[in-house]
Amino acid sequence: MSTSSNRVSDRHVPETVPGSFAGFFETWLHEQGRDLEAMKDAARAHAKTAESTRSLSKLVGRVIAHYEKYYRVKSDSAEHDVLGMLNPAWRSNLEDAFFWVGGWRPSTAFHLLYSVSGSQFEDHFSTLMMSGPRTGDLGDLSPSQLSKVNDLQQETVKEERELTELMASHQETVADSSMVQLSHIATELTRDDQRSSVSVDPQSVNEQVESTIESKEEKLKEILRKADDLRMRTLKKVVQILSPIQAVHFLTAAAQLHLRVHEWGMNKDRCCHAVAYSQ
Amino acid sequence: MAEICCEVLKEGENSVLSSSCESTSSRVARRRRMEIRRFKYVAGVSGSTDNDDDGGGGDSEIIDGTKRQRMEVDNTSSFPRECTRDVENCVSDKRVREIISAAAASSDGSDEKDNNKCNGHVDKKNKSSLQTTSICQSLPSVLDIEIFSNVPKFGVASVCGRRRDMEDAVSVHPSFFRSSENSVAYESHYFAVYDGHGCSHVAMRCRERLHELVKEELLLGVTEWKMAMEKSFDKMDKEVIEWNEGVVNNCRCELQTPECDAVGSTAVVAIVTPQNIVVANCGDSRAVLCRNGQPFPLSSDHKPDRPDELKRIQEAGGRVIYWDGPRVLGVLAMSRAIGDYYLKPYVSCEPEVTITNRSAEDDCLIIASDGLWDVVSNDTACGVARMCLRGKVPPATLTPEVEQITSVGEGMADKACSDASMLLTKLALARRSTDNVSVVVIDLRKDT
Repeated sequence: MSTSSNRVSDRHVPETVPGSFAGFFETWLHEQGRDLEAMKDAARAHAKTAESTRSLSKLVGRVIAHYEKYYRVKSDSAEHDVLGMLNPAWRSNLEDAFFWVGGWRPSTAFHLLYSVSGSQFEDHFSTLMMSGPRTGDLGDLSPSQLSKVNDLQQETVKEERELTELMASHQETVADSSMVQLSHIATELTRDDQRSSVSVDPQSVNEQVESTIESKEEKLKEILRKADDLRMRTLKKVVQILSPIQAVHFLTAAAQLHLRVHEWGMNKDRCCHAVAYSQ
Repeated sequence: MAEICCEVLKEGENSVLSSSCESTSSRVARRRRMEIRRFKYVAGVSGSTDNDDDGGGGDSEIIDGTKRQRMEVDNTSSFPRECTRDVENCVSDKRVREIISAAAASSDGSDEKDNNKCNGHVDKKNKSSLQTTSICQSLPSVLDIEIFSNVPKFGVASVCGRRRDMEDAVSVHPSFFRSSENSVAYESHYFAVYDGHGCSHVAMRCRERLHELVKEELLLGVTEWKMAMEKSFDKMDKEVIEWNEGVVNNCRCELQTPECDAVGSTAVVAIVTPQNIVVANCGDSRAVLCRNGQPFPLSSDHKPDRPDELKRIQEAGGRVIYWDGPRVLGVLAMSRAIGDYYLKPYVSCEPEVTITNRSAEDDCLIIASDGLWDVVSNDTACGVARMCLRGKVPPATLTPEVEQITSVGEGMADKACSDASMLLTKLALARRSTDNVSVVVIDLRKDT
């Protein structure tokens, strides 16, 4: 996206400009839908043989690589337009409401895992107590897996909190001395020359504004980078704890949730839009 | 969780099934603190009591006296019971074996002091076996001596679950206290679950101290369990308050007043002796005995709307207000707890104590935080635990053989009991428990 000085109007880039992140996101969602189908088929066909497990591992690797691609492109885009990435126009209001630093909250991975493993566990609970067969799905999470998940969860929550604090501190700088001073000078400049109490060169004020905001954006880039890194790391670490078939179940649930929440949010936005215009 | 008290022994991130919601760095920091305390304890109360215990010197007469009085109550000393199997368990664990042999080689009864309360049951158990050595000199080998340690099998699971903070703590101290009569030692074993609220520091403090305080009472010659438990709970409550001042902590509330006053913890303590199960409870954690497949709660939850509790609170001038359930002054959803200064005296730290004779029909004892009990009935919990202990659950659905339970108590934790506690924890999570979940399962069968 453009980096011209006229940022305000540039923020409203049409959503499907070729080469924009919004366009990439549409394609990526499509690919995720395809992966989802592949994972569902693979889980159904899983034969508990070494070969079958190997092919599941491969599939998991491919899905993870697909997420990595997403964050790679996101990071490139953030270099040009961090504000757009933090306030993504290609997301629905519903998704936005549950976002944390421009994306999904890393600790939700554990809730997802507990929810999906919980429902699979309950499904098998009665048969399990009656000496049923081992299911191999997430209901079968072993004690050591649960222990590792538990440890990872706490590390993740801690990192998440640290980043939240970092963001809080940075957001507070919107009212730091330089911002307040610049806002004062810029306001004075818009008033009549006679009444103005300051005499400064408008050009130099513009330059100052630009450089001050730029430094704020740099910090935002750093925070977004860290947040995306935590998201990707959390996803990978959870998958590492799981067996290939469990990972497929987990990633399936993640993809389903992501795609459907996006869809529901988009529908909702369209409805609200229609209602707003009809009134 | 909290590191069922053997954190210092543990290395590696997966060693703790538990979690005080702290990262590696803060864990390191805490470890450092613990090490500092370790030295404090050498000079402190626990160090010296251990010395008394170890040395068998002048003070130990007091111990014997205490015990004798208590033992007079029932002379039916069924002894070794599950010891044989217990030996198998321990010996199968390479680490325990190494510790035992190393200690035996270096020891003539004057083994290293248990100067770190956090060094875990492995050492403790080892120590107790060596203590027994000095008492029963005629016993020929370390393994035979182990028989006398008589530790029930147990398993622990404790997870953060769907909470962002871990405020539960679990404390397991096999052989935490020993009394003897006619050169025969009787050991008591301490198990407890603490469920903190407001922050985790009161629960953590209970984990570190309450068993020591109970032991102190017993060493002082308090012969009635009820009295001993009430006194130690009261001391714990006072310690928490004193401790708030002047200790640097990295918990969420950072021990800053006034937040700090609004921190407390439940405590359910079960002491298993060869004859009895003593349960002291304060708050809404719970101990349930599974006897012949039937659940027998050994504690009664302290909820503000329990008629006698409601009456007590009102007589003390307090009120129970319904705000998302009944709460003392509209704040705390339990009527007794350790800590919670600002709600005294309406919220009391006095435990209710039950003493239950052990029976041949006992299967196991389950102690757990409300993260379990809110979603799993006593009946279901007993059914699950009993089935695990009886090996009725297909092994494939439980811990794969290749996986050693490295979580709690290392080699001390029994596989079937760990499976039981883990299965109950998973069931709680599956049933959407939104709280931390901590479960201890203690095998009480005499014939295993």
